[in-house]
Amino acid sequence: MFKLLSALAAGAALLASTAVAQTPPPAPDQAQFRALYKELVETNTSLSVGSCTLAAERMAAHLKAAGVPDSDLTLYTAPDHPKEGGLVAIYPGKDPKAKAILLLAHIDVVEAKREDWTRDPFVLVEENGYFYGRGTSDDKAQASIWVDTLARYRKEGYRPKHTIKLALTCGEETSGAHNGAEWLSKNRRDLIDAAFALNEGAGGLLDEHGKPVVHTVLAAEKMSQNYRLEVTNPGGHSSQPVPDNAIYHLVRAIDRISQYDFPVQLNDANRAFFTRMAPVTGGEVGQAMTAIVANPNDPKANAILSRDKGFHSMLRTTCVATMLEAGHATNALPQRARANINCRIFPGVSAEVVRAELVRLAADPQVHVTMPEVRGAAVTSPPLTPQIMGPIEKLSAEMWPGVPVVPVLQTGATDGQFLTNAGIPTYGVSGLFSDRDGNGIHGLNESMRVKSLMDGRDFLYRLVKLYADAP
Amino acid sequence: MSRLFGALTATALLLAGSAQAQTRPDQVAFRALYKELVETNTTASVGSCTLAAERMAARLKAAGFPDGDLTIFSVPEYPKNGGLVAVYPGKDPRAKAILLLAHLDVVEAKREDWTRDPFTLIEEGGYFYARGASDDKAQAAIWVDSLIRYRQEHYVPKRTIKMALTCGEEGGGPFNGASWLVKNRRELIDAAFALNEGAGGNLDDHGKRLAHTIEAGEKTSQSFTLEVTNPGGHSSRPVPDNAIYRLADAIEKIRAYEFPVMLNDANRGYLSKMAKVTPGEQGAAMAAIVADPKDAKADAILSKDPGLHTMIRTTCVATQLSAGHAPNALPQRATANINCRIFPGVAREAVRDKLIELIGDPAVSVSKVSVSRGEFNAPAPPLTPQIMGPIEKLSAEMWPGVPVVPTLQAGATDGVALTAGGIPTYGVSGIFYEPDLGRIHGLNERLGVTSLYEGRDFLYKLVKIYADQP
Repeated sequence: MFKLLSALAAGAALLASTAVAQTPPPAPDQAQFRALYKELVETNTSLSVGSCTLAAERMAAHLKAAGVPDSDLTLYTAPDHPKEGGLVAIYPGKDPKAKAILLLAHIDVVEAKREDWTRDPFVLVEENGYFYGRGTSDDKAQASIWVDTLARYRKEGYRPKHTIKLALTCGEETSGAHNGAEWLSKNRRDLIDAAFALNEGAGGLLDEHGKPVVHTVLAAEKMSQNYRLEVTNPGGHSSQPVPDNAIYHLVRAIDRISQYDFPVQLNDANRAFFTRMAPVTGGEVGQAMTAIVANPNDPKANAILSRDKGFHSMLRTTCVATMLEAGHATNALPQRARANINCRIFPGVSAEVVRAELVRLAADPQVHVTMPEVRGAAVTSPPLTPQIMGPIEKLSAEMWPGVPVVPVLQTGATDGQFLTNAGIPTYGVSGLFSDRDGNGIHGLNESMRVKSLMDGRDFLYRLVKLYADAP
Repeated sequence: MSRLFGALTATALLLAGSAQAQTRPDQVAFRALYKELVETNTTASVGSCTLAAERMAARLKAAGFPDGDLTIFSVPEYPKNGGLVAVYPGKDPRAKAILLLAHLDVVEAKREDWTRDPFTLIEEGGYFYARGASDDKAQAAIWVDSLIRYRQEHYVPKRTIKMALTCGEEGGGPFNGASWLVKNRRELIDAAFALNEGAGGNLDDHGKRLAHTIEAGEKTSQSFTLEVTNPGGHSSRPVPDNAIYRLADAIEKIRAYEFPVMLNDANRGYLSKMAKVTPGEQGAAMAAIVADPKDAKADAILSKDPGLHTMIRTTCVATQLSAGHAPNALPQRATANINCRIFPGVAREAVRDKLIELIGDPAVSVSKVSVSRGEFNAPAPPLTPQIMGPIEKLSAEMWPGVPVVPTLQAGATDGVALTAGGIPTYGVSGIFYEPDLGRIHGLNERLGVTSLYEGRDFLYKLVKIYADQP
């Protein structure tokens, strides 16, 4: 996951369930699941030294042992990326006319250094109600739940109406690495074809006492696009400076970009988020949420909400300078000055439109604005239909009564955009409730609350059935 | 030499000599010495100044210098960065010595980048080509050659003549021979004043002599590092407090500032002389600024020319930027290098304080980048008649009608270390350069054969005049 479930105002007073966390002894099926989860976490799948292919093979072995025939299991690798493979599993439905649903998870993890961590990042450690290890949250929790769910269905002899497909892929965490979801979308589109897909990118949020506060569903995500600002100049000796200096051109362009805020945009995801969060947030911020939904051009509401960096980013395209590089010697006028501007583009807006806006802001023909790599077409937001939201809301109300289900706009990016753009609308939903600190995702000592994992497993097991049996 | 003689307006009209070179017998011996020195690689990477110093010492010894008057020096940590001090005793023990200074080391040169081997002296089309052909082995070879000729002539000067050939002028390492001598062997090089690189003559595109420049003071190069740190974060949720934005604001403030006009003997002399031969508003502005350094209109006119702009003030310019560690992360650190050329006599700390004041943001730290030469910045040495008289007399004889023009070096030479050490140092060579300044520091460095030989004649005579001064 590219991080950040949703931006929740830290001070928001929220409804909370009164359930007190209890840790009952694990049921036998939970013990099996735990072994599967442990095996997956302990299979190092970092890009540097790990192997997604090995993890995929191990997950395939679990499914095979549960009775999934070889013909329904496809281990794939791109020829030039032997360690970055994945798995597609098919669980046939009984209605050939009903479109499949796809369960997506990535099995690669962010790098983790043993010397930086308190515990070995590739050994699953259970301590004080938490699992620790790289990938315990992102994204091996959901990956192992999907595998476990299919194995349980098979053992039960469950016959869904819709075919259920599972895709475990590699390369989500590293920009520029071979991306399995993209590769499947382009090369094995038929194999993963589905009416819609469920993916990482959302979950739930716990308060500091471990009470569920909000249950989020990811409905849309922004697209990350880098832009390069570049100025070249004949340079010269620094003992004779001239006004026409590459660094000065660049700096003034960056200054103008820094002062600009893209206009507020609303879509299903952030409109629903603010609508649902307004009453539970209350106060000035709550009023601003209501106001911005009624009128996206309300400058006062915009100002109040934008004090929170998460809300600010959820409301618009953002562009920020992240890197600078200029000059070749301390005593020479710079011949080249470059900046990287990282933009998070609102769903539906094209990268070229944002580039044109940066050119306009730079307001200097000497500042060239280019895209060093193009990630893909503009991301479209899949619609939050009742068909999608209904089962989530129903099940959530049963399991976490009183906890609101809130759609969010991801300010980061997941593999969902590749599938959505390939015509498979992808939603982030997990039922995995995380702590406010983010549980060390991408960082040190990544963790997953044991109860959250087990509850999420129950939730997804039931949710997939609801979708798979829907008419 | 760190380049740039004086900024001369292209329109200046001047007389020129049209002498055709004919190698004299004494020039043949000099050419061999020059060739040996040029072909001794003295780059910081693979060369040896110590070897070059030894070779020059051997030539002086062969000419009759006793060992006691030759000091080859080096420090254990930098055995290849050595140099030579030679002493040619004068007859008046009370007359203070004069010092001839040149550096032996050269800027790096890659064979594959050059048309010819940079460490083989090639004479072609009236030029000598090689790394160091100009900077600074021309003057180094002339000094050695002059001492050899004096000895062979049994010339007995009134004053003692000293010569110091040093290493590390061009950077490329932490050891600077001139600074080291000032600090450790001050008595050995003690002198009333020193003659050094840093000036010469300027030719126009057609080889006409425009002016004969004398360097009297040089600006100090000092870099400052601006640095901003920040907790950073994920770039999907930007915040206003961004290290790059703070740095950009700081740079913008430095850009917008002009240090005040300052005058000293060197730039006052230059502007006064050039005012007479420079037509139009620029000439008038030269006269006006000398009369009143606060004349904003004159400053504006002069400052259109980058060479004049830098000659009359301290300048600071952004030369390098570096920030961020990943395209998708908010920067945790942003740094810039600001290179300042500080007017003689202005303290480095004062410039740092000014930068801090301009930036006005405590989150932006401003620190000095350390310099190998040492933190000197003495006021410019005075251009007394004692110094200028002999140059003007000799120049008028050799190049009649060509004005002798003082300059303030915008670059930097080892002269700063000596001037700060109490030995006023002047740049004078009598070597005339084409507008490309001999491509010093660059590819295919070269020097006109005639220019070299004329400079040799000039310096040989000039040193004698100084050495016989009462």
